[in-house]
Amino acid sequence: MLKNRSGAWVLILFFASLGSSAAQEEPGFSFSFTRFTLKNGLEVILSADETLPLVSVVLAYQAGSIHEQPGKTGLALLLENMMFMGSLNVGPMQHIGYINRVGGEPNASTSEDVTYFYQTVPANQLALVLWLESDRMKALELDASKAERAKQSLIEEITQRKAAEPYLDSLLAFDRLLYPDFAHGHSILGREEDILGLEAEDIRAFYATYYAPSNAVLVVVGDFDIDRTRELVEKYFETIAPGRKPPLFLPPRPPEKKEVVQAFQDSLVPSPAFHLGYRIASPYSRDYYVLAVIDYLLFHGKSARLYRKLVKREGLALFVSGGIEKRKDMAVLKLFAMNNNETMVELSQKSILSEFNKLRTYEASAEELAKAKSLLKRDYLNRLASPPERAMFLAEMFFSPVGLDALPDQLPKYMRIGPNEIRLAAGRYLTPENSVILNVKLK
Amino acid sequence: MKITLRIMFWILLGLGSGLAQQERFRKSPPIPEPLLRPELPKIEAMRLQNGLVVAVVPRPDQPFISLELVILAGESRSPRRLPGLASFTAEMLSRGTPLVSAADLEERIDAIGGDFSTTTTPDFSRFSFHFLSGFLDQALGILSLMVLQPDFSNREVAALIRTKFYDLKQKLRDPEFVGRRQLLRVLFNDHPYLQFLYSEDVIKNLTRKDIQGFYESYYRPNNALIVLAGNLDLGIAARRVSHFFNLWQMKDIAEALLPSPPANTVDRFCFVDLPQAKEATLVLGNLISPLAEPDYYPLGVLNQVLGGTPFSRLFMNLREAKQYAYSAFSQVGFFRACGYYAVTAQVIPPASGPSIREIKRELERISREKVSNFELEQAKSYLIGQFPIRIARLDELSRQVSELLAFSVVDSRWSRFLENITQVDADMIFEVAQKYLLPKPVVVIVGDKDMLLDQLRELDRLEVYDLKGVLLYTLIKGVEG
Repeated sequence: MLKNRSGAWVLILFFASLGSSAAQEEPGFSFSFTRFTLKNGLEVILSADETLPLVSVVLAYQAGSIHEQPGKTGLALLLENMMFMGSLNVGPMQHIGYINRVGGEPNASTSEDVTYFYQTVPANQLALVLWLESDRMKALELDASKAERAKQSLIEEITQRKAAEPYLDSLLAFDRLLYPDFAHGHSILGREEDILGLEAEDIRAFYATYYAPSNAVLVVVGDFDIDRTRELVEKYFETIAPGRKPPLFLPPRPPEKKEVVQAFQDSLVPSPAFHLGYRIASPYSRDYYVLAVIDYLLFHGKSARLYRKLVKREGLALFVSGGIEKRKDMAVLKLFAMNNNETMVELSQKSILSEFNKLRTYEASAEELAKAKSLLKRDYLNRLASPPERAMFLAEMFFSPVGLDALPDQLPKYMRIGPNEIRLAAGRYLTPENSVILNVKLK
Repeated sequence: MKITLRIMFWILLGLGSGLAQQERFRKSPPIPEPLLRPELPKIEAMRLQNGLVVAVVPRPDQPFISLELVILAGESRSPRRLPGLASFTAEMLSRGTPLVSAADLEERIDAIGGDFSTTTTPDFSRFSFHFLSGFLDQALGILSLMVLQPDFSNREVAALIRTKFYDLKQKLRDPEFVGRRQLLRVLFNDHPYLQFLYSEDVIKNLTRKDIQGFYESYYRPNNALIVLAGNLDLGIAARRVSHFFNLWQMKDIAEALLPSPPANTVDRFCFVDLPQAKEATLVLGNLISPLAEPDYYPLGVLNQVLGGTPFSRLFMNLREAKQYAYSAFSQVGFFRACGYYAVTAQVIPPASGPSIREIKRELERISREKVSNFELEQAKSYLIGQFPIRIARLDELSRQVSELLAFSVVDSRWSRFLENITQVDADMIFEVAQKYLLPKPVVVIVGDKDMLLDQLRELDRLEVYDLKGVLLYTLIKGVEG
């Protein structure tokens, strides 16, 4: 149905009945989008929604911590911050000012492989957003003094986050174990000494390489006229030079299959805890959909298996959370639990392993599976139901390995998973040789 | 050939852009198209025979239904000796019936893709239920079990006491929470709204009997309303709600006596010690008019000018010009009996004193000089532009509509909101600023005693409180100790 050609329209229809046989009505949910490519390679996705007079705009670049080099960590996040420090025609911090003044909400976020800039504004201000975004894509003003300010503010941000999140240091150490290669394993926040050593030229080079139209996608969702919007997009973006092709990202060799158990001493944490992770099937591969349902069985909702078992029934943990994490071509299932003492840490781990053993041995009941799918469906549709969420989701899907072409079949793929597939996937991935444990001990 | 031509095109374009001026349209922001007035979904409501109000906000495009049940009894109804009782009762509702365990209720909520939460304010308790739209009957079935047959078992009471104690303890890590709570404790003094500001230790005293008593008194259909937003109409909603709630019995409920508490008029400086806090958190504020008063609109615009965004006066002064603060904002909050304004700033500890002086100077300035036309239009533009954005998500839409209905302000705050904001002028802002900002604000400083107390000794009088709001001692300038 979806054609990868300029201006192709795609209608996505979801039916509430998918995976939820007990529903009394069968209301559908649909939305459509069109996409085209500018001459400079910028991909554009437009999805009209006339419910309210607002538009959400996301401009996303394939640029994240995964693209940083050793010794230059923190660069992606630093550049995200510097995108608000002024461009040729927009003064420092004026981007936020322009958006705020019309009641809009600007923001940005950096992941391991993509940096997103997003804002929702009244519909009549669409041109303003396109003007602002195109100006900083075309001519960001970078200099040494701005770089110094940005570096100081990033270091302050890291200090504040570490003070507010006592387990952050252990989490970063855990990530390095779980993803042994540099590209995936280092933190988006960067190392303080690396950040201090970054120079304006490093930032300029990263900007020139990754913040180019041919490495970006622009998504507009909301109340707009398609033809007029296309004209505006062409006006503001098409004359920006396409930029050079970023170096090809070469996936590292898969880590050796071997159980890892280590300890992390920390004097600032309030109680003992542990991080547990499994390296699983790569994002959007066949098994990935099964593992996503397992994620919901284990972690999502108040009746999820691990919360109920560890916190409510057995009282072994004060807190437990977890889920699947994607870093470009790699995915892991992560868990974090806080305990009263070291004995509880040990008992919690045994209890979790027995639950995983159960997953590998017995099929989940039809009711439990339906429940997990209902929660998954809720979260999936939540990401499409309002313009800001939909714009982000479309940008994320565009850069995913399956791309937008796969969108119509995504939810049905999750909904089709059966109990036997879950048992088999648990047996393949939730095994000791795929696991990493980091025990956080009080110093 | 095609590739070569394309490369040539970009080379020429690159040369061109280097040599010639940039395109003219890039030099200044585009002129906006006319602002579209949102066509707001129509709120329809009716009262069922047992007094329960059912309201619907149609959003046929949505795959969910967002339901809000509001019980018009908040923390101000908690007896003086039992602060926290209203919020505890609300949270106990989802913890089982005599026949259906708490765990079973959680299973049922998850099975319909549900998300259930409770909120208690000084004026009401709200139950928010967001679920997949095919499951209206199941959702109403679950909700009616909770509301009509709660068990309040001793086991669940004890479990909730543990959970709430831990949650409240966690919040004490947030200096803004600590500061705002202390500010309101001082402002509400002996008003029933003080009950809203309980600390973690008081909930240990709550018993099943207290909870049952609060429930029997206030959880009545004639003291409640249900809002449903999503793909449904009032006819369907009223029939289904009536089916599940028709056994809910009415009962007369005495009207709450809620006088407006008086604003603070004298200099008051309060300090709360938060060991190892790296920054000083300042919270200054005072009481303003209640929610339903017409001053609501000029106060909203005034707040924007003063400290609503990073481009408002406070941020520009304390952070950008003086570089005292990491952040500096203001906010207004409204209840049935009164409202409050609060300025919150996170500042570097040595700049605590100068920051307090600057904040007070800004409060004084906006009360003595009329705001410029530019600032006025900018603030109104923000509030008008925000309005549709704030209701873009279905759960936010239903939540806001439920509050408007709870306070009986649907007409002015829904269909006439934009009109009322548009009519605010500089004179109206000047008037409310004089009325509410000239009385002296209460100043709360939260931070590490070792880092801050020496410089605060310059104040004539400093009240030092613990985290529970108990006055420990008062430092008086020139007096040792």
